[in-house]
Amino acid sequence: MSRIGVFVCHCGENISRTVDVERVAAQVGKLPGVAFATDYKYMCSDPGQNLLKKAIIEQKLSHVVVAACSPRMHERTFRKAVESAGINPFLCEMANIREHCSWVHENREEATVKAIEIVGMMVERVKKNRVLPTITVPVTKRSLVIGGGIAGIQAALDIADCGHEVVLVEREPSIGGHMAQLSETFPTLDCSQCIMTPKMVDVANHPKIKLYSYSEIELVEGYIGNFQVTIRKKARSVDEDKCTGCGLCMEKCPIKKIPSKFDCNLGMRTAIYVPFPQAVPNTPVIDRENCTKFKTGKCGLCQKVCGPGAVDYEQEDRLIVEPVGAIVVATGFDLYTINEKPKGSMIKGYGEFGHGKIPDVIDGMTFERLASASGPTGGKILRPSDGKEPKQIVFIQCIGSRAREKGISYCSKVCCMYTAKHTMLYHHKVHDGQAYVFFMDARTPGKSYDEFWRRSIEEEEAVYIRGMVSRLYQKGDKIVVMGSDIAVGVQVEIEADMVVLATAIQPQKGADTLAQKLGISYDKYNFYSEAHAKLRPVECATAGIYLAGACQGPKDIPDTVSQASAAAAKVMTLFAKDQLEREPIVARVREAGCVGCFYCKKVCPYGAVEEKEIRDRQGNLIRVVAYVNPGVCGGCGTCQATCPSKSVELDGYTDEQIVAMIEAL
Amino acid sequence: MKEKLNYSYYPGCSLHASAGEYDLSTRELFKKLKIGLTEVPDWFCCGATPAHNVDELLSLSLCAKNLELADKVEGDLAVACAACFSRLKTTQNVLSESEVKRKQVEKAIDAPVILDSHVKHLLEILARDLGPERLAQSVNKPLSGLKVACYYGCLLTRPTDVPNLDCVEAPTIMEDVLKAVGAETVAWTHRMECCGANFTLSRPGVVIQLTNAILDSAKAAGADCVMVACPLCHGNLDIRQKEIEGVYSVNYNLPVFYLTQLVGLAVGLGPDKLGLAAMMVNPLPLLKEKGLL
Repeated sequence: MSRIGVFVCHCGENISRTVDVERVAAQVGKLPGVAFATDYKYMCSDPGQNLLKKAIIEQKLSHVVVAACSPRMHERTFRKAVESAGINPFLCEMANIREHCSWVHENREEATVKAIEIVGMMVERVKKNRVLPTITVPVTKRSLVIGGGIAGIQAALDIADCGHEVVLVEREPSIGGHMAQLSETFPTLDCSQCIMTPKMVDVANHPKIKLYSYSEIELVEGYIGNFQVTIRKKARSVDEDKCTGCGLCMEKCPIKKIPSKFDCNLGMRTAIYVPFPQAVPNTPVIDRENCTKFKTGKCGLCQKVCGPGAVDYEQEDRLIVEPVGAIVVATGFDLYTINEKPKGSMIKGYGEFGHGKIPDVIDGMTFERLASASGPTGGKILRPSDGKEPKQIVFIQCIGSRAREKGISYCSKVCCMYTAKHTMLYHHKVHDGQAYVFFMDARTPGKSYDEFWRRSIEEEEAVYIRGMVSRLYQKGDKIVVMGSDIAVGVQVEIEADMVVLATAIQPQKGADTLAQKLGISYDKYNFYSEAHAKLRPVECATAGIYLAGACQGPKDIPDTVSQASAAAAKVMTLFAKDQLEREPIVARVREAGCVGCFYCKKVCPYGAVEEKEIRDRQGNLIRVVAYVNPGVCGGCGTCQATCPSKSVELDGYTDEQIVAMIEAL
Repeated sequence: MKEKLNYSYYPGCSLHASAGEYDLSTRELFKKLKIGLTEVPDWFCCGATPAHNVDELLSLSLCAKNLELADKVEGDLAVACAACFSRLKTTQNVLSESEVKRKQVEKAIDAPVILDSHVKHLLEILARDLGPERLAQSVNKPLSGLKVACYYGCLLTRPTDVPNLDCVEAPTIMEDVLKAVGAETVAWTHRMECCGANFTLSRPGVVIQLTNAILDSAKAAGADCVMVACPLCHGNLDIRQKEIEGVYSVNYNLPVFYLTQLVGLAVGLGPDKLGLAAMMVNPLPLLKEKGLL
């Protein structure tokens, strides 16, 4: 006979306001098998837990039901408490009378009756609970970092500096990401390249970092501590081991007029190229779409001039499998495309701003390249249309961001600061120029941020106009900016020489596809979701996968670096143990009943079901049955629902337990 | 071939008054295109801008009652005026989101509120229901060589998410229709700017200034004429054009056509069936010059 203890929590007033907790304890105390029932104001508090432990020992309890909040909140807390009092933690269950009862009902009488029923169900369930042993799995102490921008670089360096191997995968030919494109950074105006490139070199030289540039994630299998990642190393057409990075191939390449993506199409590159001179690795890649050799079979100049014979037109994509224990996702952001509006997309464009049609209407990243000393104009602010210096420049904030009617309701967080920076860079380079900024709100929370913004107005003479712009159009060689000044309540028209649009931050293209490969969740904008907005901000709900940088939401450089280091710390926490303990909520096959139909194998989303041969002592095969690998099983129970012979059961959620709960109603 | 198109028709007050030629050309065009058009019996004013500025319940009730009347006639509701279109759609939008207002309106009009009927602007009918292909098949006098500035004004696409006619700030539906009938459209800057609408009576100075900017922009873009789909826009651009020319000492001479007049011309309707004589800026010299008459 079980001796069940029931502990009913008031949750301050959260539960007791609506539910008569004393009556619940009294009623449930009468149920067969219940040896002890009581109520307490805060069960999760230290005195509450002590009350529980004391009762277990004094009353010789065999099972425990805590009627309180959701098990997502405190199941772990109470199971730990129960364990310390000598009971297997899986003989403790929680009855959720807060989220499922007191918070959603108003009528005290009805809520109390419902609470009694909920607790009664859990009492019947816990009677059927079995002692479950904790499962341990080994940890592969290597990690994968996806994305080689500042987030990925920081995470990779932190982990590698702790002595663990890192596999860093970058989609582009070079690491560096968007930060490598920036001119100077707020709030200190230090040169982005100057602080970024040393870190890139550190990555290249680190003995513990294995860099796969120009590579993408093909497949992710396994689970926390034991992932198998297949990486597609795209054909670079240049042998990385042989290439010395001399650059002769690029010098000789006859195709020189390909718009450079790195320079936001302002500059040109060759068909065999490195995206920028400080690229890591400094190995060129052949853009096969634009290369004459690949298009017509002729040319081959780069191969002829290459001393070490590194150019290899026959190179093919390679698939490489890397075992890792943890994954840091740092895929970063992309900028909102101002005019694109794919049919049916929830995000709409700004056709009325003429971006793409009026050459001197550019986005913020293009301005960064204009202002960058290593950019296509050598750091001079010149109009793309005629190369003249703009004397009147208008910056428009919140393009896409905070524009619900365009489909994006969030704030992109960095634009207020980078626009303030742009006005300063402009003022430093065009002394007789005037900058105007159209803004909705200036959002400058951050260390030294508001001071920086004030500086752009007070010292650098930027004119801030609170209001939005309705339309831009070309008039002669000017761009007419039609907007409103809502502070004064008038319409404003400015004839500008150049307009810079502060476009919204969006996740990288293909972020959703990668999330599906990784099995992590993402929001409607494709930003990756953290496990808890406040308390687990760098972990995914999927164990062993961590987030860093703008792939999780818009972020500036300081925040990105902080999060990347935090993700690295989480990886280190995981690697601190040799064995991982995991909840034994896994499926088990009753081999006697299994007929070997393997429907379970077909439906298992984790690939946890294997085929197991049963042999007699002479080694003759008797039959083949299903076997669930407990290390891989995710505990979803799909196999249990599918099995036609009822031979698979999920520990902790057996049919017997569920039926007992229903019968208690 | 799709089945025959059939619509109930809400002309709105302007079309029975200053915009008679819009009404006439609409009826004639639909007859020619073999599209059924049945005027909603006993329809009345939608309330336009004044009603919703004074009393929301009144403005919602006026439209709701008209929607209820229209629901008794077969087919989706065809609307010619941009303001009527915007108000009817806004009413459906507001009432589907607020149960409280829905109940108030139901009480006020003593009839059920119809929220699921389709209210369609003439542009939608031509560009989507009939479609550019079938429209092009009906053309026997393509408007080739005619450069048209398509003027959307405020209410065809706004407020955001209510009319759902096309992209709010950069629509192309007018251009789509005109391309199907062989006309050339110009890219110009003021296609979405306000003409001043009914300030034409209370603040004519404002209207003259706004309308001048529109005409100036259309002229600068090389347009021969302007096309509108709203009687108020038409009033300001056409009726006030002479006055504007005087105030600013300019010469625009830009005929302002209704959508149905230009499409009607292309499918072979004569000037008498399109009400061209009612236009203040005489379009006949232009049409003769382009060989369209």
